[in-house]
Amino acid sequence: MTEHNDRDLGERFHALRREDAAAAPALHATFAAARARAATTPRRRTLALGAAAIVLAGVALALLLARRAVPTGLATVRLRTPTDFLLALPNEDLLRTVPELGRVTITLDRRTP
Amino acid sequence: MSPEAPELDLEQELDQLHSAAFGWALACCGGDRAAAEDALQASYLKVLDGRARFDGRATFRTWLFSVVRYTAAGQRRRAALRRWLPLAVLGATPDGRPDAATELARADGTRRLTAALATLPRRQREVLHLVFYQDLTIAEAAEVAGVSLGTARTHYERGKAALRKLLKDEPA
Repeated sequence: MTEHNDRDLGERFHALRREDAAAAPALHATFAAARARAATTPRRRTLALGAAAIVLAGVALALLLARRAVPTGLATVRLRTPTDFLLALPNEDLLRTVPELGRVTITLDRRTP
Repeated sequence: MSPEAPELDLEQELDQLHSAAFGWALACCGGDRAAAEDALQASYLKVLDGRARFDGRATFRTWLFSVVRYTAAGQRRRAALRRWLPLAVLGATPDGRPDAATELARADGTRRLTAALATLPRRQREVLHLVFYQDLTIAEAAEVAGVSLGTARTHYERGKAALRKLLKDEPA
C-alpha cells in the first residue's frame, strides 16, 4: 500500500504498468538469454582484459621512450648568465672553506690602498 | 547479527516478480527496452549463479529491485565509458534513451507520463516509480534506491510536485 492519496498519478502509473507487463519478454526467454550470456561472458572478459593489457603495455612503452628522450642530467648543468659576474665576491673562498691554523687562504690584493 | 538466509525457490520467485522487475528495469534504463532486457538478464544471472545472495534482511522484491538497480547502474557506467573508448570488442552500447518502437506502442496518456518522467532527476524518477508503479512504501523505496528515508521522502515530494506541474502544463 502506498503512503499517499494521489489517485490520478497512481492511475497513470498503473496504466503504464499494464502496458509494460503486456510488452515484457517471456520469463523462459530471459532465463535462456541469461544462461547464454553466462557462457559468453568469460570470452568477453578475456577479450576486454587482453585489450586493457595491450593499452597498458602501449602506455608503458610510450613512457619509457619519452623518458629516454629527455636529458636527465639537467640538475648537474650550471647555467651561466651574462650577469653572473655581479654575484662574484672578492675572497668568496672564505665563505666556502673552514679556516685552518697555519694556512693562509686569503690572497690580499696589493693594489688596494 | 544478520538473519539466516531463507530457503527460496529462486526461479519461482523470479517468475512471480518478472513483469514488475521488467518495469523497474525499464525505469532504471530510462525506457530503453534493449538496455532493460540486458539489465534484467544480467540481474537474473547474478541471482541464479549466487553472485547476488538474498540474506532475508529485506523482502525478496526489494532485494531483487536493488540488484536490478545496481546492475543497470553498472551498465550505464560501462556504456558511458564505451562512448569515450571505442572498444568494439566490449559489445554494443545502449544509449539509455527510450526506443522509438516502445514509445510508439504506448497509449497517449502513458506516453505523456513517460515524457514527463524523463525530464525529472533520476532519483525522483526512481522513487516515484517505486511508490506509484510498484506500490512500494516510501521506506521500501528508500531501501531499493539505497538512500535514507528522509532523502526518499524529499525526492518523493519534489518529484510528485514537478510531475504534477509537467502533466498540468502539457497540451491536452
